[in-house]
Amino acid sequence: MTRPRQRLVAGVCAGFAEHTRLPVTAVRVGTVLLSMAGGAGALLYAWLWVTIPDTPPRSGALPKASLARPAAAPGRVGGLSVPDRGGPLVDGQVSGGAASVGSADATAARAAPVTEILLGLALLAAGSALAASRLGLNVPLAVVIPGIVVLAGVALAWRQFADIRVGARSDSSALLVRALGALLLVAVGILLFFVTGDQQGGWTVVVASVSVLLGVIVVIAPWLVRLSRDLADERSERIRESERAEIAAHLHDSVLQTLALIQQKAGPHSDAARLARAQERELREWLFTGVHGAGARGARPADPADTSGTFAPAEAPIDLPAALRRIVGEIEADFPVQFEVVTVGTAPAVVPDALIAAAREAMLNAAWHAGGTVSVYLETSKVGSTLSVTDRGPGFRLADIPSDRHGVRESIIGRMNRIGGSAAVRPGPGGSGTEILLSLPLGGTATSAPLIGVGAATANAGAPSAATAGAGTGAEDQGHDEQ
Amino acid sequence: MTSNEARSGDPVAEASATLDGPGADVALLSVVIVDDHSIFRSGLRAELDAGIRVLGEAATVDEAVTIVARLQPRVVLLDVHLPGGRGGGGGEVILDAAPSAPHTLFLALSVSDAADDVVRVIRAGARGYITKSASGAEVSEAARRVASGDAVFSPKLAGFVLDAFGAVAGEMAETMEELDRLSGREQEVMRLIARGYTYREVAGTLFISPKTVETHVSAVLRKLQLSSRYELTAWALERKLL
Repeated sequence: MTRPRQRLVAGVCAGFAEHTRLPVTAVRVGTVLLSMAGGAGALLYAWLWVTIPDTPPRSGALPKASLARPAAAPGRVGGLSVPDRGGPLVDGQVSGGAASVGSADATAARAAPVTEILLGLALLAAGSALAASRLGLNVPLAVVIPGIVVLAGVALAWRQFADIRVGARSDSSALLVRALGALLLVAVGILLFFVTGDQQGGWTVVVASVSVLLGVIVVIAPWLVRLSRDLADERSERIRESERAEIAAHLHDSVLQTLALIQQKAGPHSDAARLARAQERELREWLFTGVHGAGARGARPADPADTSGTFAPAEAPIDLPAALRRIVGEIEADFPVQFEVVTVGTAPAVVPDALIAAAREAMLNAAWHAGGTVSVYLETSKVGSTLSVTDRGPGFRLADIPSDRHGVRESIIGRMNRIGGSAAVRPGPGGSGTEILLSLPLGGTATSAPLIGVGAATANAGAPSAATAGAGTGAEDQGHDEQ
Repeated sequence: MTSNEARSGDPVAEASATLDGPGADVALLSVVIVDDHSIFRSGLRAELDAGIRVLGEAATVDEAVTIVARLQPRVVLLDVHLPGGRGGGGGEVILDAAPSAPHTLFLALSVSDAADDVVRVIRAGARGYITKSASGAEVSEAARRVASGDAVFSPKLAGFVLDAFGAVAGEMAETMEELDRLSGREQEVMRLIARGYTYREVAGTLFISPKTVETHVSAVLRKLQLSSRYELTAWALERKLL
């Protein structure tokens, strides 16, 4: 049973109605009627209010998140399953990681009853006292009322404690209200007990003050727990971080070295080199995005700037550099080719699929016809993105391609034109090889004219070079003929 | 660039061969290899071409500083990550060894593409940076380039420079003295290097002499070493040259 987010007062009636499948209006009317009967309805309402949890905003998000990050999140979600936070940290991490999925619910169920029981007791006491006094019995109200108040206060404090253990994040104002309420209730209850008591004496005051102190301790205990927990969390996070960094440094030094050596020794286009290169890429991806991600999580509260720097690797699946790297991995697995990818500037969050597809086609083309080392350069600025794929192969001219072949004309040029960009195919540097230049202005065709200018400047330093490109083409043509 | 040797018939490779010719005649280029992995040292030693003589090897920061001071090589092929010393790796070697070996130049050689590593050695005084997956011929060529006083930029380093100096955002130096931004020509050169062009190809594309390209690259290296632009270090920590 949960209290829905859309609520009139606290959502108790709605939650109850939903749970019992009764009409909400009937439940509400019943509550109001009950409230008139000596305030019983109001008390019940208050009890349910305190004990029934809110409907989680997005159910299912939590377990998924903890699944996705088995090692990193347990401190937040799963750590609660470890009874003794003072114990060895490693233990906490391991069991936390194992129990993280779905443990929030389990622990909520396990931790909650104390609150319910205490509040229930208070309610029961209140109820029976009311009933007894109605029946004419001489109820020692002087004892009962303070008792109820103290019970309610402790229950509230305990709830605070349970919340902390579950790791629920409530906003600070709610925390403050609840904390002050608990404090007030306990203090008032204890004072009431003594003030309304029959025997007044010197010792009463002493006992009263000690009791209030004890009450205060009970109430603030959760904060002490939280403090020490946060400290432990932070410490374990730091330990984990440094451990990870150490592993990363080690892998970096030894394994990457070995892989680099294999590539060097085996010749650039052998199977062994290709394998080593694939491994190297995977390892790098893991090392860098992993370290990055952990860093972002570790520094979350303190360093908001960190997230801005790290959004690219992990969170955005269609991030252009990431997409390029994926394509590189795929193509390198199939062809004897090495891509050297350089990305400059911050890639836009949303990349048209067509650009990625065109880039892929250009890279495939280079891998297929040229092989060897192919340079891929991506520059993203305020005006748009420019991507060049340069190979050192035999080169080709667009005009020489039979019109029934659609590889370049359709898949690259046509695609880019359709999304408001442009594509150019020309001889590579020094007249050898091929250079495919894709440019896509930011915000569509409207700004495409200046961007193409930028692209040309990028590629060739202005107008005179257009002539060279032509000259290069001519020279290359002759070369072709001879071959 | 790996395919340099594969394209023996083309004019570019031939030209560079004739360029190397006289250098090889005059004297062998003396080199010290500093790397903590013995396999890598021996591998590199075997791969380097005939024009390069390896005087010695070192595996730690302390060894490197001593051996460089003793052997006075022309070029040190220096790994960025090294054990020993005060934990400063390759950068520490440069700082400690440079005073006792004034004619020695350093070429950083690393598997690391982490920008902070690269920027650290460059700022310590390395004349260039290449990755360890470079072939023996490429390393030899880079060492020779460094020995002749030029800077060596890998495409990734060029890309990083464009990023860090705000070239992508349209920032451009207005005077030659400005250290925190690149001039228009420097940006063009860096862009082409980032796209995998050799210096010679850059020269051909921009209609300038290879010597001018080298001047521009050296100017960028100087800026990289001296600029107080905060991105150089701040971004380096954030970004990986991956």
